[in-house]
Amino acid sequence: MEGVLVLVTGACLATVVAVAAWLVHARSPGTVTVRGAAVPAAAARRTASFRLAGVIAGLAAGAAAAGQGALGRGPLLAGPVFGLCVLAGVAAGEISVRPAAGPTRTAAVEVRRVRDYLPRGLAAAVTAAAAVLAALIAVTTVTAGPDDLGRAGRVLLLSCQAGLQQTYGPWPGSFYSVPLAAVVAAGLIAGGGALRVVIRRARTGADAAAVAADDALRRRAARTITGACGILVALPLAGVCLVSAGALLSISCHPAWWTYAGWALLALLISAVALMGWCAAVLLAPARAATAAPPAR
Amino acid sequence: MTARPLLTVDTGNPTPPYEQLRRQLAELIQSAALAPGDRLPPLRQLAADLGLAVGTVARAYRELESAGLVSSRRGGGTRVSATAPSLSDSERQQLLRSHARTFVQQATLLGADEQQILDTIAQALAT
Repeated sequence: MEGVLVLVTGACLATVVAVAAWLVHARSPGTVTVRGAAVPAAAARRTASFRLAGVIAGLAAGAAAAGQGALGRGPLLAGPVFGLCVLAGVAAGEISVRPAAGPTRTAAVEVRRVRDYLPRGLAAAVTAAAAVLAALIAVTTVTAGPDDLGRAGRVLLLSCQAGLQQTYGPWPGSFYSVPLAAVVAAGLIAGGGALRVVIRRARTGADAAAVAADDALRRRAARTITGACGILVALPLAGVCLVSAGALLSISCHPAWWTYAGWALLALLISAVALMGWCAAVLLAPARAATAAPPAR
Repeated sequence: MTARPLLTVDTGNPTPPYEQLRRQLAELIQSAALAPGDRLPPLRQLAADLGLAVGTVARAYRELESAGLVSSRRGGGTRVSATAPSLSDSERQQLLRSHARTFVQQATLLGADEQQILDTIAQALAT
């Protein structure tokens, strides 16, 4: 009940932010500077407002998700739920950008590609984290067993001696990994869709200054999307690393290599937390976009 | 870095938008501003940039394909054909003179004298 209340409050707040931004900034005159380019104020502020609304809704939905779900499933899904809301906010902001109106329309003969706008370092880090998460939950799913109430994929089982088994739970087996994989996959697909929206939306003008400004807006959006995907992947990765390391180091009769694996997972946990910090900074200040190549012809 | 060619569509012009697009793209290809192998913008992207329906741009691309100027491949987009006919030097000169005549006629209708026309061209070259 408390989670639903948080979700409803956050959704209302996000809606108010988005609607207010639309009304206030829809006809804002002048320009603002984004990464050195003079961007039409209306487009820049409107997209920023939708992004902020997405972050607020994501925080509320993430908090609500963390409070729901049986046996720790909720906190595991909070990151992906947050990321999905941010992606929806960014996509809505991009869709709100309209081309220059009038009977005479001009467009450049160019092919805009996703890779021209992605922040390369961050995108590589997020891709690596997603691959590590996929590999890790594949291993933990295969090695999991049922708990004492027969719930499949919830604990780690180890046969210490003949007839003696030690168990440790929670362990990220299928009980956790299946819903997690579904939500993360949905989030990454949504991220790809949001990037397509960013690339495909109309340009705000065709002259050199307008193109530079428009590219700056697109890079900002792509950076935010990458950051949201980073949170979507890094938060559950950190959770899986922490729980797995705890399990490996807690079972008393474990083989020696489990100790090394446990410490390696703790090192991975630090990397995941660092990636979360990087992504959070990107979500708060996306204008510091990485330099990317101009669209190809 | 070479300037990216621009396409302009005037919705107030009696010529249908798909024909305006087809004509401009054909000129860009024949004048080698778009070289064989160059990729044309994806349908949806160009339609969004120009505020046109996707079907309008698709029709222009189909007409160019029928004329052998471009070829479309599933997943590979639409590219300028390797066999696209290009203008000879004399045809290029003829086209340039034709465009110049059209510009001078329109400028004269606007009341511009010879010096104003030359100044305008100089300004356009400088930008």
